[in-house]
Amino acid sequence: MKLIKRFLKIRWLSSLAFLAVMFIITGLVNPGFFTYSNIIECFNSSVVFTLLAVGVAFVIMTGEIDVSIGSTMGLAAAIAGMLAQRGQSWGLMIVYSIVIGLLIGLVNGYGVAVLGVPSLIFTLGTTGIIRGLVYVFSGGKTTENFAGTFTNFGSQTLFGQITIYYTIVLVIVIVTHLLLTQTRSGKYFIAVGDNVGGATLIGIPVTATKIVAYVLCGIFAAISGVAFASKYGQVNIVAGAGYEMSAIAACVLGGISLSGGQGNLAGAAIGAVIMSTISRLLVFIGLSSDFDNTIKGVMLISIVVIDALMQRRSAETARRERLVARASGSAR
Amino acid sequence: MMGGNDKLNSRFVEGLKKFTKKWEFVLLLILLAEFVIFGAANFEKFMRIGSIFSSINNYISICIISLFVTFVMITGGIDIQASSIVGLTSIVIGVLWSDAGLNIWVAVLLAIVTAALCGALSGFFVSYCGVQPMVVTLGGSFLYSGLALLISGLSKTPAYQGISGFPAKNDLGQFVSFRALGKMLVFDLIPVQIIIYVVLIVLCYLLLHKSRYGRRVYLVGVNRQAAEYSGINSRWIIMSTYILTGIGAAIAGVLLTANVDSAKYNLGSTFTLSIITAVVLGGTLSTGGKGSILGTALAAIVICILRYGLPLCFGISNQNLDLPIGIMLVIVVAVRAVLALNRKPLFRKLDRESLPRN
Repeated sequence: MKLIKRFLKIRWLSSLAFLAVMFIITGLVNPGFFTYSNIIECFNSSVVFTLLAVGVAFVIMTGEIDVSIGSTMGLAAAIAGMLAQRGQSWGLMIVYSIVIGLLIGLVNGYGVAVLGVPSLIFTLGTTGIIRGLVYVFSGGKTTENFAGTFTNFGSQTLFGQITIYYTIVLVIVIVTHLLLTQTRSGKYFIAVGDNVGGATLIGIPVTATKIVAYVLCGIFAAISGVAFASKYGQVNIVAGAGYEMSAIAACVLGGISLSGGQGNLAGAAIGAVIMSTISRLLVFIGLSSDFDNTIKGVMLISIVVIDALMQRRSAETARRERLVARASGSAR
Repeated sequence: MMGGNDKLNSRFVEGLKKFTKKWEFVLLLILLAEFVIFGAANFEKFMRIGSIFSSINNYISICIISLFVTFVMITGGIDIQASSIVGLTSIVIGVLWSDAGLNIWVAVLLAIVTAALCGALSGFFVSYCGVQPMVVTLGGSFLYSGLALLISGLSKTPAYQGISGFPAKNDLGQFVSFRALGKMLVFDLIPVQIIIYVVLIVLCYLLLHKSRYGRRVYLVGVNRQAAEYSGINSRWIIMSTYILTGIGAAIAGVLLTANVDSAKYNLGSTFTLSIITAVVLGGTLSTGGKGSILGTALAAIVICILRYGLPLCFGISNQNLDLPIGIMLVIVVAVRAVLALNRKPLFRKLDRESLPRN
């Protein structure tokens, strides 16, 4: 019992359990789902969302938000597509997208951390600007007809049917997760999100941490754009619109609190897998994909409501225990 | 007699001075500047009252919903589900009218009730369960757009097509009944939606700035605890603002359906960011406690005129309009933030001086 309680407290583990339950239910309804390739495919197809969710997780941990990731992804995808049309290499696209993400992240970070504009509003403004830049760069046309090697690259598998992309993403997630949980400066993100005043007092560079969070978020979003372009083989001008909401939802499902200071990157990655496999699982269960958004919404709301009620209850129990302890102490 | 007049005059001047320090005044100046610049660039094309009205008409849903979202943001919340309620309202009207065979006005009424219930559900989770408004309404935006898609599956008409053919014209060829809400011109000039918008502005203004309810909304936003201690049921106040937004989104959905003659599940799905842009540009603080209906209304019109004027006078294509609006939003919020930063030390100085000296 105690073990279960401790298990539930590690929030990303309960997200993983949730994902497993989803798989098991699907498998019970349709035993045909339980093949290795089906399950691996669920992970493989979540590359774009995983990158977006992990990126925005940095920002959410510091207690801010970034809604410009969808359009950042669109811009990077359009530019990657244009480079692919000219037969440029994959490495150059990554360099370009890192530069794009860096610049966007710096602007967002400056506006939020230095100027002190509320993050939702500032990134809303940059969303419009970046989306406008997508139109300017692509001339309002869908970028398509890529060279074949680029799109083939995304579907190549390494070992055990895991695609190259997911391997890279997995490595990135594990490395950043360890950096954030095991190193001193990695814990700055959580500290800033948990208590800005306290973080300032113990000498954590709050402004710099927030800017770094935005820069990382921008870079992750831009790299996800390259993955997007390679996966779909064409990039239209509204590519990525609405992805920001799904990425934020993935973070919430992964146990990251939107008020900051709680959660980790592994949770975000698992949340992203949950978000992107729901429609796939629905097909196996035999429901139409029309149920996709309804189920996502019900899941998101019920999870956060249950979480809030449980937290309130545990706070209430703690308060009662304190009162009882105090009363018995004075009785003696 | 003279003296009284002077007094009235000075009071008027003082009121005017006060107004020039307000954010609404800046918005008014921006609006004026837009008219001057666009007018100078292409007077002939720009200064057509009819087309100015119809340009506002194109964004009427955003204008209307942003009025109601102002209430939510003043309490310190946020609502990103309103745009999905627009589509839900539209498809509920369509299915009830065409497939269930109800009277169109009964269908409209039921759709508005549905939207209010959706708002109430999210509001309940925000205020009574204490979940962050952003998360709840994010979930709500998935849920209600998903429900809209499911409801559209109940209809004989395929979802992507949209239900059309609503009651429109009488024998004389005039727009009557439901379609009149979207197509009728008052005095052959002003679209009926704009009249409805103006009425809604007045109603919201009275509700927020002149009623007891509005006072409570502000107080909950400034300090929820203090509001609780002074006997305000802050939970109910917060929940009610989400119900209001639901109703506002429903009104927008009805007007939009009537205008395009098509009930579709994904109407309005791209409005979210524009709505919040209008509210924020109108001077509402996202942390709550500050904001005004007049500001939101002016900001929405500023955006409408910008969207109308830029393609017309400077040949910027419609697709590129996100760029200037984004730049405007960023510049405005950055300038306001910088001004606020500079003002802080001034306040500290004043505070120190106003301390009693011993």
